[in-house]
Amino acid sequence: MWTLFIFQGLAGGLVTGSIYALIALSLVLVYKSTHVINFAGGEFVMIAAYLALFLLVAGGLTYWIAVPLCAAATFLLGAVFERVVLTRIQGRQRPGQNVLVAMVIATVGLTYVLKGIIRPFPYADEVRTLPPMLESGPIFIGNVVITRQDIAIFSIAVLSMVALFVFFQFTPLGRALRATADNPRAAALVGIPVRRMRSFVWGLAGALSAIAGILIAPKVLMTPDMGGLIILAFAAAIIGGFTNIPGVIVGGFLLGIVENIVGLTISTNAISVTPFVVIIAVLLFRPQGLFGGRAETKKV
Amino acid sequence: MRNSSIGKLFGAFGLAAALSVGVASAYTVKDPQQKYADPGITDDEIVIGLHAPLSGRAKAFGADALDAARMWYDMINARGGIWGRKIRVIVGDDKCSPNDLLAVVKKFVTEDKVFLVNGGSCTHAAVAAQEYVTREKVPFVMLNAAGDAAVFPPTRYVFGAFGGTQRTVGGSLIDFVTKNLGAKKIAYIAHDDDFGASNYLAAKWTADQNGASIVADQRVSRKIVDVTAPMLKIRASGADVIVITTYTGPAALLVKKAHEFGIKMPIVAAVQAVPNLEAFVKNVGSKEAFANFYYGSPLNDLTDGPKQQWVIDWFKKTYNRTPTPFMSYGIPSAMAIAQALHNAGPNPTREGFIDALAATRLNTGILAGPIEFGDNKRDGHNASIFIKYDGAGSTRVPGVFFNRMPLNP
Repeated sequence: MWTLFIFQGLAGGLVTGSIYALIALSLVLVYKSTHVINFAGGEFVMIAAYLALFLLVAGGLTYWIAVPLCAAATFLLGAVFERVVLTRIQGRQRPGQNVLVAMVIATVGLTYVLKGIIRPFPYADEVRTLPPMLESGPIFIGNVVITRQDIAIFSIAVLSMVALFVFFQFTPLGRALRATADNPRAAALVGIPVRRMRSFVWGLAGALSAIAGILIAPKVLMTPDMGGLIILAFAAAIIGGFTNIPGVIVGGFLLGIVENIVGLTISTNAISVTPFVVIIAVLLFRPQGLFGGRAETKKV
Repeated sequence: MRNSSIGKLFGAFGLAAALSVGVASAYTVKDPQQKYADPGITDDEIVIGLHAPLSGRAKAFGADALDAARMWYDMINARGGIWGRKIRVIVGDDKCSPNDLLAVVKKFVTEDKVFLVNGGSCTHAAVAAQEYVTREKVPFVMLNAAGDAAVFPPTRYVFGAFGGTQRTVGGSLIDFVTKNLGAKKIAYIAHDDDFGASNYLAAKWTADQNGASIVADQRVSRKIVDVTAPMLKIRASGADVIVITTYTGPAALLVKKAHEFGIKMPIVAAVQAVPNLEAFVKNVGSKEAFANFYYGSPLNDLTDGPKQQWVIDWFKKTYNRTPTPFMSYGIPSAMAIAQALHNAGPNPTREGFIDALAATRLNTGILAGPIEFGDNKRDGHNASIFIKYDGAGSTRVPGVFFNRMPLNP
């Protein structure tokens, strides 16, 4: 039985972990380029899920159309927020003053704004879930059960990560974004429009959150408070190292697997505690994360 | 007879008449502080503070139930009231929040001077009023909240659970699965809080009494996202039946996961898991998942079944709208209050009303079982029916199932 639990935990954990990794990636992209921790990352996921619900159920569209539309919408949301709010906060920075805290608080404010926008809508007044992407009966690998939907979720998440990697490594825009994240002044000196790059990163993070939201929504329950799963993304990012993109991906998978195995071998009650325990443990023993560089303290 | 004697006689008669009028006036003056020991009652009326969540997300649980209670009181008034007194209702919105509920109850008591308070659709909010009403010695009769924490242990001034407590849920669920489905090994899924602990207590007791055992006891958070772990453990437990007492969100995930795992054993869900069957089915996403699915209800029929039709038609006629599934739950408390006010006699006091309510035995024609209180019993209803849903339609399973666990097992 324990072997079954371990393998089932592994299989289930890879699926949920892939989603955690996507959301964590969106956090890290924003952090690397703007040094802002986006506390509204979970609400981007929530907004995308509800938009998909509306398009699929009320609009009668398919996932093939709904996904790009939702990604475009949250891309716009992220880019506009950066341009309209964060840039303004930065613009009011006085010499010697650090506005990072104000920017982070702005993201907290965004969480309430987004929840407030969704709550009056008809679909938000009761618990909902997205229709399944694929009709799924169980697929047994030995005694381990997975579904076609799980395979689809995992595949789409991994493909998204691969596409992101290709984008950053091999496209001019991707290289420009990396340059902006590494050294904004130098990037500006060589003619890269830094402000526009930052807006683009926020938009990209929004789009990633949308994909994560649409992947996770058929498996969970949609409520305006579902953005709380951002804590799982934080845990994944902290495990991997907040500035290390491959590390964050590994962190997401690890967290998903650990959560499942803890639930199977220790207690179902312990599942909700696992991310917090992981965060504490990593911060205590390796605060830079498993794949982060040297630990350093930065004054805010 | 001399004129002076006649004059004295008339004077005496006049004085006697004046005195009589004065004495009579004293008894007809509408000043409750002079004639009645408690506020909220006069010769003409009894004032009841009636509250429920009338706004926000919990409005669906409370608004129609409150209107149903008001409908019952209006009917009583149309028939002449109780001992000639009409019931006057003052309405408040408790927003399903402990702070707001307590504020509404305090306003009822201190400003509106009600005789009793009838309200509460949310347990955690209703419990907040217990200390206050006990201190102020004001009868508090819940509307449709289960209110486990407020009725166990029982206190003098708080009555509730007209729809049944979580003990009712747990006990009647196990009564059903053991007697009707013949289950001997039960997998039980509850929330990891007082709610779950309360229904599990009665479930375990009932299982022991009925010769069954709970072979898997899984507790899940209300916000659980992935139910793979509990469902896998249940699959490995060798259970005959799965009993789910969670709220609707986790319940939908569990039914969905059971279907994904190819689990064929019966699944029996508590009433709180399926407040809206249509939405529940959509959330599960597959009608095939309901091949062997049952859910409980404290009513005496399906929410739109023939035994409920009289109250649904009455509500539609009164308010010109179709009620939500929770509407019927508002009437039993109003029925019990009206009966107790009558039984308390022509000049009731709050204490007399409480004694009368504690002695209440009432068949409502709405609930699965009778309303019964007692000197040491403040949870009114202990029965459930069960409904089979097979993906196409619902049918009521014959029989009524009870929680018989004593107060202190």
